[in-house]
Amino acid sequence: MSGFFAALNTIRGRIVIAGAAVAAGLIPIAVIGIGALSTISSTIGTELALLQRVSGLSSALAADVSDEIRSAEQYLTARDPETEQRFREAATAVYELQRTLAGIAELDPAERRAATRIGTLRAQAEVRYEYAHALSDIGRTSEAAAAAANAREPADRLVQEARTISAAQAVRSQAAGERLAAAADGRLQVVLAVLVVTALIGSGIAVALYRSIDRPLRQVVDVAHRFGEGDLRPMPIKTAAMPSEFADLSLAIERVGSQLRTMVGGLIAESDRMSAAAGDLSAVSEQLAASASEVTTSMMEVTGGAERQAAGLDRGMSQMERLAAAATANAELARLVARQGAEIHRLAAIHQRDIAGAATTLGEVQAVVEHSATQVEHLERLSVAIDDFVDLIKRISSQTNLLALNAAIEAARAGERGSGFAVVAEEVRELADSSQQAAEEVTATIRTVRQQTAEVANTMAVGRTKVSGIGHVATGAAKALNQMLTGIQQIEQAAQGVTTEAETTLAAAHEVSAVLRSVSEAATQHAAAAEQVTAAAEEQGASTEEMAAQANELSQVAERLRKLVEGFTV
Amino acid sequence: MSLASRLIVPVLLACGAFSAGCGGQRGDIRLGLAGPFAEPRGRSMRLAAELAVREINAAGGLRGRSLELVVLDDRADAVRAVSVARQLSDDPSVVAVIGHLTSGATLAASAVYNMGLHPVPMISPSASSPLLSGAGPYTFRICPTDRAHGTRLAQWAVDRLHAQRVAILFLNDEYGRGVRGVFAQQFTGRGGRLVADDPYLDELPSFEPYLERIRRRGGTDALLIAGTRPGAERILEALRTVGLRPAVLAGDGVAGIEATGLLAEGAFVSAAYLPDQPGQANAEFVRTYRAAYNGQEPDHRGAGAYDIVHLLARAIRAVGPDRAKLRDYLAGVGSATAAYDGVTGRIAFDAQGDVPGKKVVIGVARGGRLVSAEDRP
Repeated sequence: MSGFFAALNTIRGRIVIAGAAVAAGLIPIAVIGIGALSTISSTIGTELALLQRVSGLSSALAADVSDEIRSAEQYLTARDPETEQRFREAATAVYELQRTLAGIAELDPAERRAATRIGTLRAQAEVRYEYAHALSDIGRTSEAAAAAANAREPADRLVQEARTISAAQAVRSQAAGERLAAAADGRLQVVLAVLVVTALIGSGIAVALYRSIDRPLRQVVDVAHRFGEGDLRPMPIKTAAMPSEFADLSLAIERVGSQLRTMVGGLIAESDRMSAAAGDLSAVSEQLAASASEVTTSMMEVTGGAERQAAGLDRGMSQMERLAAAATANAELARLVARQGAEIHRLAAIHQRDIAGAATTLGEVQAVVEHSATQVEHLERLSVAIDDFVDLIKRISSQTNLLALNAAIEAARAGERGSGFAVVAEEVRELADSSQQAAEEVTATIRTVRQQTAEVANTMAVGRTKVSGIGHVATGAAKALNQMLTGIQQIEQAAQGVTTEAETTLAAAHEVSAVLRSVSEAATQHAAAAEQVTAAAEEQGASTEEMAAQANELSQVAERLRKLVEGFTV
Repeated sequence: MSLASRLIVPVLLACGAFSAGCGGQRGDIRLGLAGPFAEPRGRSMRLAAELAVREINAAGGLRGRSLELVVLDDRADAVRAVSVARQLSDDPSVVAVIGHLTSGATLAASAVYNMGLHPVPMISPSASSPLLSGAGPYTFRICPTDRAHGTRLAQWAVDRLHAQRVAILFLNDEYGRGVRGVFAQQFTGRGGRLVADDPYLDELPSFEPYLERIRRRGGTDALLIAGTRPGAERILEALRTVGLRPAVLAGDGVAGIEATGLLAEGAFVSAAYLPDQPGQANAEFVRTYRAAYNGQEPDHRGAGAYDIVHLLARAIRAVGPDRAKLRDYLAGVGSATAAYDGVTGRIAFDAQGDVPGKKVVIGVARGGRLVSAEDRP
């Protein structure tokens, strides 16, 4: 029994059980119908053949007995060999007929007794007449007359018996008719009972099957639609009363929903963090640009100072002090740039990891969506199986229809006695029609199921496209971050250069203040060094601009990401 | 009534009635014995069958069970034979029937033995009607048919008696007509002439008118009596009265007539078996029979019944006391299994339940006994 209930949990199981139930109804009807037809027709055939045979024999018997008596009586007066020959032949014919009659195995006891009596009477009549003929032939005519009179008694009874058998045939045919009618009635009741039960079971099965497929499918399709529209909020589907295929599908869809929810939630958070980081990056870039500009201005001043130093060595000492102070400030600024570059580097690395994590999650989503697509394809195959089953039912009902038609023809052939069976045949035909209609309805339902399945498949395809779009965006973001990191490294290198140069400047200034006298030669060297610093500061400025552009691009990417995830309701 | 109950009820009834077939039952193994035992012609059949049963039981019975006969008298009457056959069929302890003796009774009873859910195998020792050939799968006989008797008698009339004119008196029943039909066909076919062909019944007031008519037609070389013993005795008496002395030929229906002594002296009688026919087994049987029954001689029905009981014993030893299995075994005697060499000769059944290999012998009444008239080999 548990196997039966387990089978009831699947669409396949329900279809098989439904098919078995319908077949269990249709097959007995077909068997009973065919059985009744063959029994009735063979019974009719046998009975009629027997009745015909016995009645033919008994009428031939009556005719030959009359002939035997006539020629026997005739011989007593005519005494010619031809008449004797006719008597012998008639007597032989009567013997043969009686023997044939007695040889019929189906005779009832009364008929068999009559056949035996006919045998005895036949023998007596023949012997007594032949005895009379012998007496007549040897001239003992008065004895012959007495013997002939003695022969008439069995001869007369012989005629009577032959007639009795004929009369018995009428009674027998009536009895046979009644038996056939009773047999037909009995089978009619059985057929009607099976018919009613099958009709009830069939309707119940059709309704139950339709409900078991329709309701869960509606729920699943509804959820898929809402996913397609981007509503990812959890929607519990009642899986308890569903066929297991639907329960599996519902669970898969719920898992898809939950995965999507987690992922989209993650994406939203990531995009928020990414825009915040991009904002930070912009601010840092601006500061960096401002610092670079300050460096440039300072270096201009350094250059100017150096030139002025070359011109007026008198103010050299004080100017050298200012130069030393400026170089110190310059080195500090350069160190600040280096620190900010490292900070940006750190932030970018973090985002790179986050984006890699998002890409992995997207891969999982894609796998889940693929799995759901497989489930939908499975559903598609199932509906093809249902189509095959419906075709089978259609074929059975068309066969049954043909059978019922043949039955009706046979019933018509049987005449009045077949009228009961004709009703059965009509009922069987109507049942076949109802089966046909039920099959058509199932076909229509399956068509709807298929359309809805196709819609689910389409929704899945849209989901797949969206997921792959998000994948592209993430790849873009990763690429942008990589480029940004390269830029930051360049900035760091430049800042390092500035620091080195600033330190060199400071050392030179100290040297200048120590050997003021040799400033004239050193001033030229100093101016060259200051130009180098200016070039480095300008280079830093260009890098900072590039970084700002990249920060802007990142900001735009973060904005696009936000727009994408805004479509989802989590 | 439902289809199922229609099937189930008879099966249950059959199982209830045939507990021997369905369940198995210990006790005697019973064989039906049916014939006209109140008449002299039935006497030897019964005595020989009882002798065979005593022999088998004295040797330890069959499969540890003893053999028993259920003896029912059919009075050689077809209607009575049907009720006897029904009685035996309905008795589940009866596994086979020996009988019946006459063709008319056997034909009527055969239909009963072959019908129903549990048909019974029957073997007749002496029913020789051609109609019995292939009467049913459960019908067997171990004697040659009337056709064989008629043919053999016609050969004897032409080849040994050199008769040109033959008169026939036939019993107006199945048997008489059977022998007469074949004889007339064979005899006229070989150029012989029938001077008379007259029917009789035992009720006939006198045979003299028939015989007187034959005398007036110029007499006859031979007279064929195709009938049974009572009529034959009266015919032989009437021959003396009328003063005719033809060679007398008779079919096996008159068997036992030799006991009338002088009356039947010299009459040729066809037989499926004669007590003095050669054979070790036969000599032994005749000796035992004489010893058991005050020196009486067995006739062909007795020897046949004796063979049938022993053949059935062989079958029961081989396949057990089961009607259907016995039938199948019997059908294979002479084909699936070895032929049975009995006191009456070699028994091998054909598909019709006949023994076409069995020879008809002509005996002659000598000093109250029927002795073989055939040339000794």
